[in-house]
Amino acid sequence: MAPMTERIESSAELPTADQPPAPRTRGRPRRRPRGIGLGWLALLALLAAAMIGAPGDRSAALTLPNPDGGAVIRLRAEFGRLPDLPFVLVGMDADLGTYPEIRPAIRAAFDDLMRRGASLAFVSLTAEGRAIAAAEVERLHAMGARDGALLDIGYVAGVEAGLVRLVGTALPASATGQLADAVRRRGGGLAAFDLALLVGGSDVGPRTWIEQVAPRLPDLPLVAIAPTFAQPELSPYLRSGQLTALLATVRDAAAYVEVVSGEGLTPLPDEPQRDQSPSALAMLVGMVVALLVLARLLFGAIPAIGRRSPHEANDEEGP
Amino acid sequence: MTGFFADDLAGTVATWAAALVTVGVWAYLVGERRIFRLAQHLLIGLSTGYLALLAIREVLLPRLVQPLATDSAGNPLLWVALVLCAVMAAARWLPRGIVALPVAVLVAGTAAFALGGAVVGTLLPQLGATMLAPGLDAGGLVNGVLGAGVTALVLLAFLHGTPRARMLAGAAGTGRWLLLGGIGGWLGFLLVSRLSLLVDRLGFLLRDWLGVIR
Repeated sequence: MAPMTERIESSAELPTADQPPAPRTRGRPRRRPRGIGLGWLALLALLAAAMIGAPGDRSAALTLPNPDGGAVIRLRAEFGRLPDLPFVLVGMDADLGTYPEIRPAIRAAFDDLMRRGASLAFVSLTAEGRAIAAAEVERLHAMGARDGALLDIGYVAGVEAGLVRLVGTALPASATGQLADAVRRRGGGLAAFDLALLVGGSDVGPRTWIEQVAPRLPDLPLVAIAPTFAQPELSPYLRSGQLTALLATVRDAAAYVEVVSGEGLTPLPDEPQRDQSPSALAMLVGMVVALLVLARLLFGAIPAIGRRSPHEANDEEGP
Repeated sequence: MTGFFADDLAGTVATWAAALVTVGVWAYLVGERRIFRLAQHLLIGLSTGYLALLAIREVLLPRLVQPLATDSAGNPLLWVALVLCAVMAAARWLPRGIVALPVAVLVAGTAAFALGGAVVGTLLPQLGATMLAPGLDAGGLVNGVLGAGVTALVLLAFLHGTPRARMLAGAAGTGRWLLLGGIGGWLGFLLVSRLSLLVDRLGFLLRDWLGVIR
């Protein structure tokens, strides 16, 4: 059976009663080229095969092209400066589309912080961030995080105005538990925390936090983990010292996950498997495919996958 | 593994739903648009429902309705907020002059906070960071001069029209190539980033759904 798109395109070309049939243009294919989708599926299958066949140490090679471990060192140094049993605020404003890119690094950071005895309080300024924060808190609870180490502050409306309000009053009236009580004893605002870990997304990100919170609380260290697209926007803040650490590329995130994984024990006793960075072999295959597609787009040098050229199609259809 | 879905029945159903929707979206690659459209509608419908629920549960009820219900006399500003909310909710049926009031409050408040933050949190600190501080070592000095030079050249690339002076035209051309180089480098990172998202989704299907890899 012909695909629906093919039928639609064919019927669109039918002449009406009062309209003479249009002459066939030789350079333009009449049908949707067959097999193009199968080519893409084949590429997905190739990628899947690369993932299945990846060696045991799956992501280590991702860190090889990264001679600069400065981002990881800065982040760990900032964690190392925290006092005993620190209070860390997690500003979770990731978005659902790009969160998978930074998820392994975020979870490694949770492990890293909780191993140092940190208590984590989650707050979100975006709806998507709120959904992710709720899921991560639930996951940390399910994995056996110690009692009183987690606090879900929830969603704060108003973005910039909400952040300004958080500076003075971070806890909702309904917040209860050991961490909530301890934060209230320290004043109840953002100043009660020893560090803010900002998770960026496409809507609200660390920049908004820097603009609204940093001028009001210059002593609160801000560190950020963000998807790659945010890197050009956030790097200047790292240079100016407004951000004390930043992980914003896949290779930096992979290097950080490797470092944390290499230290052995996870603080969450029931965690079945650590979230891993993408397999290096799969990334390699994907890069080769991406380069082929780019070459095709830029130079037309490589035939499209599964697509017949218009001349081939016309020749086969015959006169 | 995403770690979001447990091993119970709800987790299994969620995994299957997520996997089927993923496959449905990828069906677009082979020209099947009906399933793709269905996934789009599903996303829009769920997002709208989620946003409405979030606004009601985490904003309107705890911050407006409950305080008014418990201490209505002690929160006079909340009555104003309630009226503004009601006007926004009924905006479709009210005259523009009335609806303009809450919209103006909303836009003005957002602009005030955003502009103030941009100046105090970004513009001034970034200006300060780009200035060459006295007592810099040689490396810092070279970095600073290079940064200032590249910034100037890229700014020249945005000159309106074609510069007539040969030197200026050369500088603008150099600035354009520097800009292209910067964007190219960033796009390279972005390509890897998007690829990692695709690999993650494939990993979800192979690991969480099919159990092919561990």
